[in-house]
Amino acid sequence: MKKLNIIPLILAAIGLIAWKATANDKYTENMQKNINAVYSAKSVEEIQTIVNAFERIGEAEKTKWEPFYYASYGYLMMAVQEKESSKKDAPLDLALKALEKAKAVNPAESEIVALEGFIHMIRVSVDPASRGQQYSGLAMQNFGKALGLNPNNPRALYLMAQMQYGTAQFFGSPTDEACGTLAKAIAAFDNTKPENPLSPAWGKNMALGMKENMCK
Amino acid sequence: MIKNILILCLAILTVPVAGQVTLSGIVTDAKGEPVPGANVLLLDTYDGTTSGNDGKFSFTTTEQGIQTLLVRFIGFKEFRQAIDLSKPQVGLVIILKEEINQLEAVTITAGAFAASDESRRTIFKALDIATTAGATADIAGALNTLPGTQKVGESGRLFVRGGDGNEARTFIDGMVVLDAYGPAASNTPSRGRFLPFMFKGTSFSTGGYSAEYGQALSSALVLDSKDEEQLTRTDIGVLSVGADVAHTHAWEKASWAGKIGYTNIRPYFNLINQEIDWEKAPVSVEGSSAYRQRVGDTGMFKVYGNFNHTNFSLYHHDIDDADSKTHIDLTNNFRYLNGSYKSALNDTWSVRTGISYTLTENKMKQGVLNLTDKDEGVHAKVVFDGSLSDKVELRTGTEVITRHYRAAVDTSSFTPGFDEVIVSGFAEADIYTSNKFVARAGGRMEYNNLLNRAYVDPRISLAYKTGKSGQVSLAYGKFRQSPNNEWLRWDNELDAEKADHYILNYQLIENNRTFRVETYYKTYNELIKFENGNSAALTNNGSGYARGVELFYRDNKTIRNADYWVSYSFLDTERDYLNTPYAVTPSFASAHNFSVVYKHFFSKLKSQVGATYSYTSGRPYNNPNEGRFNNSRTKSYQDLSVNISYLPKPYLIVYFSCTNLLGRDNIFGYEFSNTLNSEGVYNSRAIRQAAPRFVFLGMFITLSKNKSINQLPSL
Repeated sequence: MKKLNIIPLILAAIGLIAWKATANDKYTENMQKNINAVYSAKSVEEIQTIVNAFERIGEAEKTKWEPFYYASYGYLMMAVQEKESSKKDAPLDLALKALEKAKAVNPAESEIVALEGFIHMIRVSVDPASRGQQYSGLAMQNFGKALGLNPNNPRALYLMAQMQYGTAQFFGSPTDEACGTLAKAIAAFDNTKPENPLSPAWGKNMALGMKENMCK
Repeated sequence: MIKNILILCLAILTVPVAGQVTLSGIVTDAKGEPVPGANVLLLDTYDGTTSGNDGKFSFTTTEQGIQTLLVRFIGFKEFRQAIDLSKPQVGLVIILKEEINQLEAVTITAGAFAASDESRRTIFKALDIATTAGATADIAGALNTLPGTQKVGESGRLFVRGGDGNEARTFIDGMVVLDAYGPAASNTPSRGRFLPFMFKGTSFSTGGYSAEYGQALSSALVLDSKDEEQLTRTDIGVLSVGADVAHTHAWEKASWAGKIGYTNIRPYFNLINQEIDWEKAPVSVEGSSAYRQRVGDTGMFKVYGNFNHTNFSLYHHDIDDADSKTHIDLTNNFRYLNGSYKSALNDTWSVRTGISYTLTENKMKQGVLNLTDKDEGVHAKVVFDGSLSDKVELRTGTEVITRHYRAAVDTSSFTPGFDEVIVSGFAEADIYTSNKFVARAGGRMEYNNLLNRAYVDPRISLAYKTGKSGQVSLAYGKFRQSPNNEWLRWDNELDAEKADHYILNYQLIENNRTFRVETYYKTYNELIKFENGNSAALTNNGSGYARGVELFYRDNKTIRNADYWVSYSFLDTERDYLNTPYAVTPSFASAHNFSVVYKHFFSKLKSQVGATYSYTSGRPYNNPNEGRFNNSRTKSYQDLSVNISYLPKPYLIVYFSCTNLLGRDNIFGYEFSNTLNSEGVYNSRAIRQAAPRFVFLGMFITLSKNKSINQLPSL
């Protein structure tokens, strides 16, 4: 009799673990599929489809920051692809809005702070003369903050190198500082292993491209 | 046995329950056009899809029972519907309703020129004001290159559409500034007291403005100060006419900034010969301080204070006898304090409230006479903004403006002045029928204690989007403003001066190019008039009209790294007021104003070079040797100004500017003697620029942790 009494409890416990595991697998599996897709997406339509999927997952999984992080990344890529500068602001607004949701879940995530800086960086390109000051300041501030949270965040290092390079080039000063930061970024890309399969992994090719073209 | 139960248990939990349901259909807008890219989903599940190019969608789900189907896409309202998954749902037709949103919706542009960095649909940026050549970083100077303004070189104030310099009022964060211009010797231009870099947004309205703004007859210049600063920094400016130092400290949710400046134009005037016989050229000390604090999620608290002390003295020479001169010495003290708070109350309503205090005091010695005048005012205001629905926005508020004014002469115990209290309330609604059409209707009620009377002034505007980038706006409004201190102090029972504005505007913005055309008609009533030419007997019997056409074109696309705008204003106006014997075109009004502003950035030279050319047709002046009043015209005014900003290091800017590069001898009008000379004519003297050119050189250094920050936006 005693044995029988315990069984439902054990069952319940095991059931719960199993259910949680499957739910998590479903999350990881869906996310991985879409993360791979967003990295390789070519057209705005394609990105929109993937962003929609991230938003669906994000709304069902209220405790995860990754879905809206990647939704934000998707919108940012839409802005990057947009040729007409005056039309970049609309997707950038959406990128920031999505990122706010990710931030609400995990405000101290270095990757989120770095991506926010990236959004500001693209804002500058819309109208450098009147936006340069404000948004490049904000971008640098975000990269600094991201590195405060994680000194080895390779994306924060790479983006910071980009900003430093742009400033140095504008003023005709040496690009040593920028290229130094880039070297650190590339080392960080090589040495840091993603924490989990959903951790952001973009940026290495951009960093290598920058090295090839600007810091040879 | 336990093992078996476990396996069974896991199987139940992991294997999807049989019975997939298909949902399919089409997403369209209200007109039946397909909406591609819409996110179609079951709430709180992973299931869903994106509508295709034809608006169609289809997906399967294993969810059961009643679920919520949600469809959304940018520019449309979210669609939600409970859906029963016990049977397949095919052929669903989802019609999305358009969402009225700021980015897409039509805006009222009649009479309004907005400069803002936040709102991206404005024609102007804050930086544009600061970098306009010839403006020497003066807000009014830069706005003078826009249509609707008439250049009055010897004043420096804004003269809008046939209105005089007092009819354009300045508001900071919604609060009125009683005296927005610094003191200047007669017939020399004054500068605005507020520097352009303090503001994140400037809205310059040349007519038909919101019911929120009262006590402005011709124009409202609405300045929105910046929110909290993000970066701690110290700015140092070394100028050819003085120096200033500013420090900003930024915290997580707050910032404090202070600035102190000293301007001494004496060395410069010693170097360059001036038309004016200065005894002591102007010297001023100025300080300002701003504190910003975020409160909660949506609240913003701001305090701004400013003081200025200016002194100068000069000799005024008699027209008939140049050796006969009067000594004039002026000291001006100015204080301004502005506190405001803004916050959301709930999802629908937000509140803005503020209080401002202005003190302006002039102490003048004219020969043996000591004259003083002092104007002190308090403005308190509370405004509620409500989004009653996405189609109706309501703005309502109440305000009190009190003014205490006294003038005195040491030879008399009589102190003319007034204590005015104006209590007003306003309400205004923006009603959108779609993103294409908006109507703004409202009114303003004002009660004035001096007259013990209340008035209601209606204001109406309409705007319609004619296409993707073009729109038409219409505006009508009644406006009133208490008579100038100069007159009201003698007669407290004088009624407010009144104007009616009718404006029609067309604007096209495409691909970084803007074209605007605007036409207007204005009537003036109850203007102050001297009875039978006697300035001691004042009446409200004056009247007048103004009408005109204005064009504006801006292009920062065609030429790489360059930006230019062209403005033209035609004005036809007459007034029968003050001392005019009949309706005449007033001395400050010019029929044609034309200006071109050009800015070019040379990245190789690390420099921005700017040039502004202005043309103003001849202005009327009264020649007593001639029969008809105000019937003579000066020759045209022309000016070519240049400026260069050079950035050798990220934290250093060298700035150079020169007005009237070609040194044209511009004449603004003529003064005449009061008595006939021996040949029976009145002697005259031209009113000229104090010097043909004004040359300015400055060096601006910024010290901060982040070395790439500089003072460019403040130039």
